[in-house]
Amino acid sequence: MSDGITLTLQDPGEALRSAGVVYADYQSAKPVDPRVVRAMLPYLTEKFGNAASLHGVGDVATEALEEARGRVAALFGAEPREIVFTGGATEASNLAIVGYALRNRRKGDHVIISEAEHISVLNIAKYLEKQGFKVTRAPIDLHGRVSPKKLRARITDETILVSLQWASSEIGTVQPIAEIAELLDGTGIALHSDAVAAEGLVPIDTGEVPVSLLSLSSNDIYGPRGLGALYVRQGVQVAPVLLGGGQERGLRSGSEDLASIVGFAAAADLMAAEMPAEVERVRAIRDKLVERVLAEIPDSHLNGHPEHRLPNNAHFRFDAVEGEAMVLSLRDEGIAASTGSACSSKTLEPSHTLISCGLLHEEAHGSLEFTFGRWSRAEDVDRIMEALPDVIHRLRALSPLYKTSTPTGS
Amino acid sequence: MKSTQYTEKTLEHFRNPRNVGTLEGENVAVGRVGNPVCGDMMDIYIRVSPDDTIEDIKFQTFGCGSAVATSSMITELVQGMKLDDALKVSRGDVADALEGLPPIKMHCSNLAADALHEAIKNWREGVGPEDAKKTPGGTACHPIPAEVAAVEIQNLDAYEGKGLYRRVAVDELPKLADERVVVLDTGDRSAQLAMDLTDHTGRVVLMTSGKEPSVSPAVRSALRLSDVKVLAEAQPLELLGEGELERIRVHDLNEDEEYELTADAFVVLE
Repeated sequence: MSDGITLTLQDPGEALRSAGVVYADYQSAKPVDPRVVRAMLPYLTEKFGNAASLHGVGDVATEALEEARGRVAALFGAEPREIVFTGGATEASNLAIVGYALRNRRKGDHVIISEAEHISVLNIAKYLEKQGFKVTRAPIDLHGRVSPKKLRARITDETILVSLQWASSEIGTVQPIAEIAELLDGTGIALHSDAVAAEGLVPIDTGEVPVSLLSLSSNDIYGPRGLGALYVRQGVQVAPVLLGGGQERGLRSGSEDLASIVGFAAAADLMAAEMPAEVERVRAIRDKLVERVLAEIPDSHLNGHPEHRLPNNAHFRFDAVEGEAMVLSLRDEGIAASTGSACSSKTLEPSHTLISCGLLHEEAHGSLEFTFGRWSRAEDVDRIMEALPDVIHRLRALSPLYKTSTPTGS
Repeated sequence: MKSTQYTEKTLEHFRNPRNVGTLEGENVAVGRVGNPVCGDMMDIYIRVSPDDTIEDIKFQTFGCGSAVATSSMITELVQGMKLDDALKVSRGDVADALEGLPPIKMHCSNLAADALHEAIKNWREGVGPEDAKKTPGGTACHPIPAEVAAVEIQNLDAYEGKGLYRRVAVDELPKLADERVVVLDTGDRSAQLAMDLTDHTGRVVLMTSGKEPSVSPAVRSALRLSDVKVLAEAQPLELLGEGELERIRVHDLNEDEEYELTADAFVVLE
């Protein structure tokens, strides 16, 4: 580089390994791929322009911005003009749900979401209710899937929007989104999908599945944090929720974060090229963990759908053990996992998804989630299985509940 | 502050809990507080010497890191104390001894102090360990157990043929494959049906308003070996759902709270 500094970026996998950490919480956060960081750097320094400026420096930025938009669009089978960059996926969902509802209020005031939605969508729906909209929640089955029949039963003349995640970030269940899209086809009801958990793990093609709106996140395909996008199908009208200088066709004001957008595009290119092989590799690691946990740990169960599930997700529950205690114990063993237990949440409520699946509170408290990703290795499963059976055993020995659920013969 | 931002002292007690276990024999009393529904449950056992001193103390806890640490800490604090002095050990004392707890976890120290106080109360009132465990003491998270009364289930008839079953014939069992089935405890026959159902679906709940299902000892041990999930102290109040059964509104008799349980089928045998 011109200032003489040589940039060395450590491989995230090596960094974790040298720190002795097995990271199995890719659902919560992912490292930015060092190749993405390299692509971003020039746009922080020499190519720093504002795409709105009329001079040459601004033109360089405009070109880079529009080129990046095309590359992100391509990963999802979209047209460049259908991509609106936002400050993260939560913002994209706000724009999609609040923006669509406000813009289309004259058509009706009823919105349907599923009971499995991410907390961000649940809270956006609550806000809509405060604004006078009616919100209905479509139930999910034992494995966390929405039933198209039950969703259809909730459609009224006033329904304008259905919001259904592509897949659950928690239990990993993939929703029958194509079926729901088909169901809504021709009704005039828009379909929004929060695709964040599914990105890079299952194919998402807006050419194949006629969704109207799609919330996307850059970090979930190993791009930088704090950047997302909303796919808005051509002809679908949304009102902006963030007002200002009118960037992004007036739908998302604020000067574009060019370096991050270029990073998102670089991440999209890498994902397009590497996804099939990466998914199979990650699936093999996940399958091994599921197989071993269920075989080696008594009274353990897999939550979510046995087949329709994200290839990187393993979500368990263990009888008579509490989730936060498991996560804390695993932390001591250098293993990063997460839980849907009440004691780990800000509200002390257990995971709404698990409760909607029909689990009892005490079962939801005993959940433990592992999610794998680009730098996961087969050895990670060995490390987890060196620690996990002992952790469960130790906590069960402390628990007054375990003996009552364990058969002792007579 | 993160709910898991514990002090080193708290983590140390979680990793190496003191006085884990149970006590048996003469001069033993136990205090049980909490409820698995709430996510934490504690048993504290005390052995009291003739001069009213806590001679030995043990605990068992189902719960998060702070639930384990507060149980462990309180057993250390009161070991060897006179009962009257032990009663003065407050919730705040436990949290202080652990050098603080995250605000959201303060209720855990309530549980530990309550369990100890409950054990002392049971000792003084001559309540034996087995009886004590059947009636958990009241705490902030778990108020007074509600009275069990005959309650009519609302909307029962409306879901006839739409998720409500008054009888399930053997050849009808496969129809319930992969459904979430809740069977109301009406004795041995209902428990037997619940067990038969586990061959067809992974999700069978036997709901009883009692502390345990009202079944014969033989059926009880069979039930324990089965995949049937027993939901105790639960009174169904109302069936809910668009067109067909989707949820059951339930009165949790232990916490005196209402919640909704997701279900596709509800079996109330005639």
